Amino acid sequence: MYKSEKHTIFYVLGLYLSSTLLLIATLFISYYFYQKEQLKYEEVKELKKFTLDLTDKLLEVHEDDTIKYKYPISKNYKSAIYDIDKKLIFSTFDLKIDDFDKEIFIKNDKIYYISSLKTHYLGTAYIVIQKDMKPLDILNNLIILALIVVFITIITSFFLVKIVLKPMRNTLYLLDNFIKDTTHELNTPITTILTNIETLDSNNCDEKSFKKLERIKIASMSISNLYDDLVYLLLNHKKPSENEELNISDILKNRVLYFTLMANVKKLEFNLDIEENVKFIADKLKFERLIDNILSNAIKYTKVSTTIEIVLRKDRLSVADQGKGMSKGEIEDIYIKYVRFDKVQGGFGLGYSIIKSVADEYMIDVNIDSELNIGTKVTLTW
Amino acid sequence: MVKPLLFIFLFLSILDASSFKENCIVCHSNGYQFNMFMKKYTLKYSSEKRVKKAIFEYLKHPSFKKSVLPYGFLNRFGIKEESFLDDEELIDMIDIYYEKYNMKSKIY
Repeated sequence: MYKSEKHTIFYVLGLYLSSTLLLIATLFISYYFYQKEQLKYEEVKELKKFTLDLTDKLLEVHEDDTIKYKYPISKNYKSAIYDIDKKLIFSTFDLKIDDFDKEIFIKNDKIYYISSLKTHYLGTAYIVIQKDMKPLDILNNLIILALIVVFITIITSFFLVKIVLKPMRNTLYLLDNFIKDTTHELNTPITTILTNIETLDSNNCDEKSFKKLERIKIASMSISNLYDDLVYLLLNHKKPSENEELNISDILKNRVLYFTLMANVKKLEFNLDIEENVKFIADKLKFERLIDNILSNAIKYTKVSTTIEIVLRKDRLSVADQGKGMSKGEIEDIYIKYVRFDKVQGGFGLGYSIIKSVADEYMIDVNIDSELNIGTKVTLTW
Repeated sequence: MVKPLLFIFLFLSILDASSFKENCIVCHSNGYQFNMFMKKYTLKYSSEKRVKKAIFEYLKHPSFKKSVLPYGFLNRFGIKEESFLDDEELIDMIDIYYEKYNMKSKIY
């Protein structure tokens, strides 16, 4: 799976899941509150029934021909009676009621129901019934149901995203295959050209032919460089690294020498400040890809007749050009494969992708300082 | 100082009790009637304040309309005469009556 594809899957999944979760949460919360209201309605129904019973009992007590009046007490309900001036007559619970305008209210997991009486048995104008609120047991079930729905949504959305992304994946697959085939086909002609150029005796050529030969050599080197990048991209980074202690100072000098011919075409100068015997443990081919890409980018994008500053220290390497520079947005996207900001220059847009890949493997920090129309400085720190 | 005050209080209580006996019990000899009246007033007027006010108004100006008693009772015994007590004394008598016969204090 491609990195960009993974990102897209994560983004789409994130968006799809968050919107689905929002919907589920809204539905479940609405359902929860509906159930709560339903429970309250049932409780009120019971409370109303008990109020009628209590009223009948109050009537009986009121009519009793006794000296004392026994207040009707229930096991399941507590009650209180108030006179018309809202003064307490008798109560079987502690809470004092001040607001008689609310018919129903809930306090400390207890539900209260207030009703008024037109005929004042024992002086009662208001009856207040208190009852323990039944717990709403659906919350745990709702959470389990929500988790199941989320789990199913994750699975279905993952397959959905894969189906949606299939055309993009096929295109990328075709592109990769094309590059792979092209690379394979380029191998033999490039090797032949480079080998034959090396064997040509430049001393026997006239000046005109010599210049032509130099141009062919530079063009072949460019193709060879591109070829090496493609090979690295398609094969090398999938292979296990053959790490060894490298003398970076020597490698850097060799690679600068290798690119001198290309630099001469743009009349560039290399300003080298290379500390001797800087060592680093890495795969030689991979490290060369890293340096080659930084150097070739600097050569490609710097202006004609400028200087490329190369500094090597024990813990860092920096290459600074005097090119057109990059904006902040361009720097952010620079590591994306096949992204090119300057269409005038050749290439597949693989350079920084390879730089990042090698740097990540060897835990090298890549820092890009760039200012538009001033230049770009790439610093590797390890 | 406390003893004379206690004495005055006791004296007044006895005086009140004898006034209640003289002014009320002399006609309504048994407790049954008092209880029945209180039940009727409580049933209609609910609170202490309203019950006392209704009794006062009835005793001051008795009428069929103001009475809480059933028609048959009124038909048989008629409407009582206006109270000859002054307002202050009448209020005291009603307070004693309510204190002795109210339903609220008898609920258990």
